[in-house]
Amino acid sequence: MPLPAFLIALVLAAAPAFAASPTSPGPTLAIEDTMHTEVPEVLVRAPRVTLDEILDRVARGEARRDSMLKDVVFTATMRVVRDPASDKPKLFAERVSRVYRKGEDKVRTVTLRHWDARPPKKRGEVDMNFTAGNGEEIVNFAFQPKARKNFRYHIVGRDLLGDHLIYRIAFEPRSLLGMPDPGGIVWVDTRDFIIVRQELDFTRSPTPLIIKGIDRAIIERQEVDGYWVLKRLIMRATFTVPIPRFGRAFDIAVQFDDYRINQGIDDAMFTKAVKP
Amino acid sequence: MSARAWLCVAVMVAAFAPAQLPAQEGAPADTSLHRFLGQLADSTDRYFGLIDAPVDTAGLDSALAAGLEKPWYGPRSRRRVSYGPVTGFQRVDGALFGASLGVNSRVGRWSVRGDLARTSRSHDWLGGGALAIGTRLRDVSWRLRASGGRRTEGLDRDNSERRVAALRALLSGDDTRNYLRRDGYSVGIDADGAEWHAGLEFRDRLESPLPVTTLWNLFHRPPEATGNLAATFGRTREIAFNAALRLPLLPLRAQITQAFADQALGSNFDYRRSRVVVGGEITAFRHLSFVPQFAWGRLSGDPVPQASFYLGGPQTLRSLHTESMGGTGLAVARLDVIGADDLLALLHLPHPAMFPIQGGAFVATGAAWGPDPFGGPGSPASGWPERNAWLSEAGLSLLYHPGVPDEDGYFRANYAWPLGPGGGREARWSVSYSRALDLLRPF
Repeated sequence: MPLPAFLIALVLAAAPAFAASPTSPGPTLAIEDTMHTEVPEVLVRAPRVTLDEILDRVARGEARRDSMLKDVVFTATMRVVRDPASDKPKLFAERVSRVYRKGEDKVRTVTLRHWDARPPKKRGEVDMNFTAGNGEEIVNFAFQPKARKNFRYHIVGRDLLGDHLIYRIAFEPRSLLGMPDPGGIVWVDTRDFIIVRQELDFTRSPTPLIIKGIDRAIIERQEVDGYWVLKRLIMRATFTVPIPRFGRAFDIAVQFDDYRINQGIDDAMFTKAVKP
Repeated sequence: MSARAWLCVAVMVAAFAPAQLPAQEGAPADTSLHRFLGQLADSTDRYFGLIDAPVDTAGLDSALAAGLEKPWYGPRSRRRVSYGPVTGFQRVDGALFGASLGVNSRVGRWSVRGDLARTSRSHDWLGGGALAIGTRLRDVSWRLRASGGRRTEGLDRDNSERRVAALRALLSGDDTRNYLRRDGYSVGIDADGAEWHAGLEFRDRLESPLPVTTLWNLFHRPPEATGNLAATFGRTREIAFNAALRLPLLPLRAQITQAFADQALGSNFDYRRSRVVVGGEITAFRHLSFVPQFAWGRLSGDPVPQASFYLGGPQTLRSLHTESMGGTGLAVARLDVIGADDLLALLHLPHPAMFPIQGGAFVATGAAWGPDPFGGPGSPASGWPERNAWLSEAGLSLLYHPGVPDEDGYFRANYAWPLGPGGGREARWSVSYSRALDLLRPF
């Protein structure tokens, strides 16, 4: 973008922000409006990083992330909301759990809250189950080396944010047969080639007989003590026919909070009691 | 403010901040990234609304303390019990009614299943049990399995279609599959990697022919088949090896199956049965799938019907009735073209969202050769068919992918026209339920 146009866009964009919070903490935007000049274009001959190389680095970055996590404790909140697009969306179920994970084989979940708008006859009908292991396949399923053949990739854009260069990479399943894999876009922080956000795109329903469509599905990560971990999974879907006592559409979300990472979990936490 | 505008702001902040904001040293170095992600998250919040309301944390600390104080007996029950009816219908047993019961671990490491059913016309009890134990070592999943029982099975061991065949038989008598009784057991081990599969199995089964007992159907149509090709009675002990591989650099998979029955194993039969399949999917314009498949099979040794190859039906040549030809050799090549879009939506025809109908077309050619299990003159048992043995066809399909109970299953209605010479064949409809890559066994 030529610099004048860039500045115009910048001024237009920044004006409301200045008006709203002139004294807010953090970086402040400065605008040079007394000097007008043009910067000549520079032909850069250095080879650009190829998409394949970026994908390799993402796979390595995600693997490195997984290997750095020795033990993780977090609070997970799962919610289901019915009729989300109506005037009166209703909370249908909520589960809050504290989850302790260590290594690849230890996991313990403590249920903190278990609430249902309509308590089921059979207790625990809707529940959260966490498996052991600190990998987050739900985030990087399309970027694992074994999945490379199953997807097409292309770079949608690059965003420079401070000293972070963020690549937006779109992916779509190669196969059109059977239950389709989702496509989507990931935001990759090239500082350590970690996926920091993902938006999934289901062009076709995975189960047309039951699910009319998945309108939107988003996976967000957050940085905690230097580690990128799940922040939220959130999805809206619509059934083909209304489900009794539930409705036609629903939102489901799992929020991850209150992380404690690599602070050491005593193995006694995973010692099973002997049943009397 | 658009995302692009925010990007401009972020760029300028990043450029000027170090020089002009020395007082912000205490702020995190990557505030711009977090603020950017925060903006995207805010947009998500606005879309989803209620579900993102803050969690009420009241009482959670005390619930945690209480939860940690209680004795912990390990993760919640890892077993899942499943049960259901067993039903079936074909002309050798009549109707089949029974029940199944299974227990398996939630993560699929082990499973135990059993079923028992009574046949209405042959007045027999059929059923059996199966046990499987699995584990994962590095990137390879291993599975040890054993099963046994008394069952009626299809004579064509490559034809896995059961449900729709039973429905066709019940409604209109349109079932030309042949059946035999198997009593015995098998044990096997499987290994699955990301791009490959390998399996080894030992089978010890008494195989016996079955007479026809049931010729009625609900619509009182004359049944397509009134007989049942008799299996050769005897004990089969065989070792079977199967392997599948995703071919490098090509969007194709290859699968090879070898079965050896030998008198040295105590088998009454002595044969070697080989089958090779190559198939895959090539997409075009993001709306079309080209699905080429090729299968070749060869049986050497005793040409028993229960080990022979069969031609005809939705999984081979759709212009032929199922299992209408057979031999000790089989070759089939088929190309399906399947559209990904909903035909009814493209035609602006109102229809329920649960019924997206896809369109398809196909061309195929195939041949069966060698000694004829139906007692015909047959042809020389060589590795490749004679030129005049090939039959060809072309056709159109309507496909429906429900997504359940099999994630890759399609209901298909096919209309196939015979091409070239082929002994008085006529264009015909067929209905099936199978995967798009139906010559390849799933792995």
